[in-house]
Amino acid sequence: MDQPAPSAETQAQRAREFVTAHRMLRSEVQKIIVGHDDVIDHVLIGLFAGGHILIEGVPGLGKTLLIRTLASSLDLSFSRIQFTPDLMPGDIIGTNMIVEDAEGRKRFQFQRGPIFGHILLADEVNRATPKTQSALLEGMQEGSVTVSGTAHMLPAPFFVLATQNPIEMEGTYPLPEAQLDRFLFKLRVKYPALEELNEIINRTTRVREVAVERVMTGPEVMGYRELIREVPIASHIRDLASFIVLATHPQWERAPEMTRRFVRYGSSPRGAQALVLGAKVRALADGRYNVSLDDLRAMALPALRHRIILNFEGEAEGVDTDHLIAELIEAAESLSAAGKDAFLR
Amino acid sequence: MPDPSVLHRLVRDVTREVRLRRAEFFALRGLFVAAAVAAVPLVLREALGSVALAAAGGLLLLGAGVGAVVGALKRVPETEAARLADRGFDFQDRVATCLEWAERPDRTPLVEALVADTIARVEGRQGRRIIPRLLPREAKLIPVPLVLGLILALAPPIPLPAGGLPNFSAKTEEGQERAQDRYGRLQADERPRAAKREAFPRADLPERNLVPRQGAGGQSQPGDLTAVFKDTSLGSKSPDFNSFLKKGDERIRMLEQVDRLPDLQRDFTQSQHKVVFQRAKELRGGLRPDQVSPEKLRELLNEMERLGRKGGAGNPWNGDIGEGMEALEQGQTDKAMEAMERALSKMRSAEEKGRDGKGLRGGRESDRRGGQRDRGQGQGGPGDEGDFPEGGEGLYPGKGKSPSRKGDPSQRLRANPFDVGVEGESRQGRKEGFDTNLLGRGAHMPSRLRYLGVVGQYRKMMEEAIAREQVPRDFQTQVKQYFQSLDEK
Repeated sequence: MDQPAPSAETQAQRAREFVTAHRMLRSEVQKIIVGHDDVIDHVLIGLFAGGHILIEGVPGLGKTLLIRTLASSLDLSFSRIQFTPDLMPGDIIGTNMIVEDAEGRKRFQFQRGPIFGHILLADEVNRATPKTQSALLEGMQEGSVTVSGTAHMLPAPFFVLATQNPIEMEGTYPLPEAQLDRFLFKLRVKYPALEELNEIINRTTRVREVAVERVMTGPEVMGYRELIREVPIASHIRDLASFIVLATHPQWERAPEMTRRFVRYGSSPRGAQALVLGAKVRALADGRYNVSLDDLRAMALPALRHRIILNFEGEAEGVDTDHLIAELIEAAESLSAAGKDAFLR
Repeated sequence: MPDPSVLHRLVRDVTREVRLRRAEFFALRGLFVAAAVAAVPLVLREALGSVALAAAGGLLLLGAGVGAVVGALKRVPETEAARLADRGFDFQDRVATCLEWAERPDRTPLVEALVADTIARVEGRQGRRIIPRLLPREAKLIPVPLVLGLILALAPPIPLPAGGLPNFSAKTEEGQERAQDRYGRLQADERPRAAKREAFPRADLPERNLVPRQGAGGQSQPGDLTAVFKDTSLGSKSPDFNSFLKKGDERIRMLEQVDRLPDLQRDFTQSQHKVVFQRAKELRGGLRPDQVSPEKLRELLNEMERLGRKGGAGNPWNGDIGEGMEALEQGQTDKAMEAMERALSKMRSAEEKGRDGKGLRGGRESDRRGGQRDRGQGQGGPGDEGDFPEGGEGLYPGKGKSPSRKGDPSQRLRANPFDVGVEGESRQGRKEGFDTNLLGRGAHMPSRLRYLGVVGQYRKMMEEAIAREQVPRDFQTQVKQYFQSLDEK
């Protein structure tokens, strides 16, 4: 039996609850994590958008701690996999084992791997072989894993947070493009500023333990995910998202010069989906019921930076993808109606 | 669903404001143009009288008015006005989203919440103008024509030049008569008249005296310098048109023999056989037989046939050329290619035989020249190539007597110089290719690929790599030049 459609007042009430819950979750994480406000915001946006996050940063910046804290703030199961070169797909997904029942009969029983958790921390994901990395693919995209021809559903919400270290690249296996594309956002964790560093010292070198409360449950997260998809987006903002994604393609006839010169492959349509979904979450978290141009601009960097593959010239000249995306946004705004002044037309 | 009429009212207000600003903008632009035009009646004030001032003022008003009307009447789409309102009042695209989604059947309950929220914000806004005043570039220059017009209006009228401009065109008699009628005979008489130009007397062409000059065969008088310049040969000769026509006929006949005409576009530093080989190589260029242009193949076969005719009737490749031409007529390019390949190989062997016959046995050039010199000693004049000194080995670094600083070439291979062997095997897979190993002489290799074919394939791979930008831009020219140098070898 179909449930009656919620009324506008109910949805508005839920939206207000979401704003409150989002703020509480954010403040719980910030009890432990100092600084990195934008990273925390983007991780939460990824959680409510239903995507997965790849976090990149040098060791010791608190990537793993951030994810652990988030998991502690949510009433969800958490598992962690430390990726190493000898890790096998079975170590992640699980395997069939022979078990003996009470009557002495032997049979295969599927032993679930650590992927069967709500929040999965894939630490140093680029240390494992591509075969093992790819074991995550089906789970990330479909929410299920298949072992010996049997599909096993993963718990919902299923949220993968992978970390990788950009400096110790020797002996690592960079993620293939197909898997990179599965991540909604790629976040870069920067080194903390002086005040933040002082605060980190203060917080971590004392006896006092900070307790993190669980402020949200799994069903609540799933409910908010549905609510977020109802946020309307105006056509000129949606057009701008499409223009931004198309502007990353050197083959596009209106592609900016920088794209033609430095980009080998542009973003997939998943990039546009990530842009709009992220913008919707950001809008609702901000207490708005619509997506604005600012939301879209704020989501462009994390949603597109891992989806743009530079060509040889771009690599050789050390082109920064973030800088490239910033220029592409300007170019896309001048191409679309969103950036034009209607006054004299 | 809340009533979105408040939002429509906001959009109408913004539209009105946009129209007002546009009217100001275009009125200023029209005023500038009108001020420039208004200078004309002021300049002609002497002729127009008091009307000039009124006309100038009217033009100014007209220009500004037309500009204002044009600006005000320009269309302002509702969506753009909504976006301007969002931007002006910092509504973060709420108004534009509301107006778009309020009427849609697939709107979600959140849209109603959005409309209610936006209406509350719109009603709570402070009334202010959000469209900034924009001045056209011409606005800065408006004082210039205005001040000029004011000066013209206050200054005494500019006297206009009396009478018309002088008529530089030649008058006819009728025109002159009309002028006389107009101004009266008396006035016309007072005017200075231009002297009538007399017609230039054309001298009759004097008949030529074809009689030989007196001085042609006779004695010149002493002191008569004109004799030096006198043509004494032509005068005595009668024109011989028959010999001229005969020579012309011979030249025309020569032109008809196309085969004997030199091809000026060809590089004569190479033999014609070699040119044919190169053309065949360019034609194949890594392509499959079905990709080869039939027209170019026909041209090549014609060229080979012409070479065969030059060489005499007994050339071994004439039959293959014929087969190739027939296959081409039937549209079988692959067979024509095979025939061309056979003819080429026969041509190669003939060329090689020719080389053997000419004594290209390896060794030093000077040795062979020496032999020739022995046979024909004393026949060469000064400057002949055989004149360089024979005595002493190692005149220059190197082994022999060659003047080349690099020394003499090593022993030539007896193998065919045009298909140096490359051992290798075809590699099947996602991308076809050849695993090759250059081993020197190709004649005895168990598996042999034609050098030219392999180079063609590599050239194709190079072009693809450049097209895919796998080669850095700075190196693309260098890579192309490398392959070009391979062609020239």
